[in-house]
Amino acid sequence: MIRDFIESVGKYCLFLKMVFRKPEKWSIFWRQFIGESEKLILSSVLLVCVISLFIGGVLVIQIASNIENPFIDRMNVGYMLREILILEFCSTIVALILAGKMGSNISSEIGSMRITDQIDAMDMMGVNSAGFLVLPKIVSATLLSPLLMLLSLAFGILGGWMVVSLTGIIGVPQYIEGIKYCYNGFYVFYSGFKMSLFCFLISSIASFRGYYATGGSLGVGSASTKAIVTISILILLFDLIVTQLMLY
Amino acid sequence: MIKIEHLCKSFGDTAVLKDISIEYSPGKCNMVIGASGSGKTVLLKTLIGLYEPDSGSIWYGNEDLAAMNYDERKRLRQRIGMLFQASALFDFATVIENIMFPMDFCTGWTRAEKLDRARFCLDRVNVRDSDNKYPSELSGGMQKRVGIARAIALNPDYLFCDEPNSGLDPYTSSLIDDLISEITREYNMTTVINTHDMNSIRSIGDNIGFICDGRLLWQGDRHNIMETGCPELRKFLRI
Repeated sequence: MIRDFIESVGKYCLFLKMVFRKPEKWSIFWRQFIGESEKLILSSVLLVCVISLFIGGVLVIQIASNIENPFIDRMNVGYMLREILILEFCSTIVALILAGKMGSNISSEIGSMRITDQIDAMDMMGVNSAGFLVLPKIVSATLLSPLLMLLSLAFGILGGWMVVSLTGIIGVPQYIEGIKYCYNGFYVFYSGFKMSLFCFLISSIASFRGYYATGGSLGVGSASTKAIVTISILILLFDLIVTQLMLY
Repeated sequence: MIKIEHLCKSFGDTAVLKDISIEYSPGKCNMVIGASGSGKTVLLKTLIGLYEPDSGSIWYGNEDLAAMNYDERKRLRQRIGMLFQASALFDFATVIENIMFPMDFCTGWTRAEKLDRARFCLDRVNVRDSDNKYPSELSGGMQKRVGIARAIALNPDYLFCDEPNSGLDPYTSSLIDDLISEITREYNMTTVINTHDMNSIRSIGDNIGFICDGRLLWQGDRHNIMETGCPELRKFLRI
C-alpha cells in the first residue's frame, strides 16, 4: 500500500511535468482556456450561489437561536456569519462541493477520451495531450476559483440578510453592523488562496486519474470515484496545513 | 521504410512480443495478421512509440526510434498517420475540426488553407456534406473514412491502421480496404495494417506477417498465403 502510494505520487509528479510543458501554440491554449473557464467556473456559478444563499440564511438562524445570553450583542450574529463564511465555508466547503461537480466532470471526460484512444490519437499527431487537455483546466480552475469564493461570500451574506429581513430574528442594522465589524482583509486573501489551492488539487488530481484510466466504462467510473475520494481527503489535509501556516 | 530488429516487449511477466524482425516497404499494404491477443496491437503501438520496447530496435528510414528525444519523436509523429480501431475521432470537435486538428498544431497555415486541405481530404475519402456533424452523428463506416481523412491530413510518410474493418459490413469493409490501398499507392506511403479480416488479406495484402503468441511465424504475400506450410497459419486460416 505504501509502495502504491509512493508510485502514485511519483507518477502524479511526472504527469504534472508533462502538463506544464510550454504549450505548442498559445492561441490554441487561450481558446481552450476560455472554453474550460466557461465549463468549469461559469457553469458552477449557479450551484455556488444557491448553496451559499441557503447556507447563509441557515447559519443566521442557527447562530441567533444559540445566543441566549442577553449581554452578548446581537450584532455578533452578522460578525460570526461573516467569519464562518470567509474562513471556512466559502473556500473549504465550496471546494468540497466543487470536487464532486468539477472532479467527476474532468475525470470522466478525460477518462473516456483515454479508453476510446482519443488521447493516443493526439499523442500520435505529435501533440502533448496532457498539456492540451489538462493545462487549460488547471490554469482556469486555479486562477478563476477565487471569484467563486467571493461570489459565495456575497451570496452567503445576502442569504443571511434575507432571513434577517424576512423573520426579524435580529435587526437589519445590527446584522449589517456585525458584517462590517472588525473586518480583516487578510482573511479574504487567505480564503482566496485556499480556494485556488483546492481547485488546483481538484483539476490536477481529477485529470491525473482520468488520464491513466483503464478498463472501459467501469474503469472511468472507478477513476472518477478514486479522484473524488483523494481530492476530498487532500482538501481537508491542506486546509489544516495552510491554516496552521497562514493564521497561527 | 520501417525496419524492426529483434523487437521484444513484455508486460510484467507476460512476454507479448518475442524477437520480431521485419521490414516494411513504401507503396505497399504491409499487413500484420494473427488471432486476437497474439500481440498485433502491441506491435503497432510499440512501432509508433506509444509503448517502449524492452529490447530490439525500430528504424524509420535511417532514424532509430529508441535514440530519438522528445522533440525528434514529436517531429516523426507528424509524419505518421494513424487510423485507430474505434476511429478515435475527437468527440468535442466536428468532422472538419477533427481533420484540421493536426494542422492547427503542426502547420502555420491560415484557416482558409487548412479548410481547403481538410475538404480535399474529406473529398478523397468520399465524405461530403458532413463538415459540421459531430462523430456521434456518423455511422461506423463514415467514422472510419473521416479517421482516414484525418490520418492523411498532413500527407504522412507512414500510415498505421489498427483493424480498419472491425465492426463494418463486408461492402463498407471492402470500400475501406480499397481506399487504404489506393491512398498507399497514390502517396507512396509505408502502410502497416493490423487485421484478421480474410477478405482484406486476400484483396490488398502485399506483404503479410503472421504473428502467433508474440512470434513472427510466417511472412509472404496474398498470392502465396493459401499455400503456406506453417501449421499455425493453416489453423488460423482454417485450411
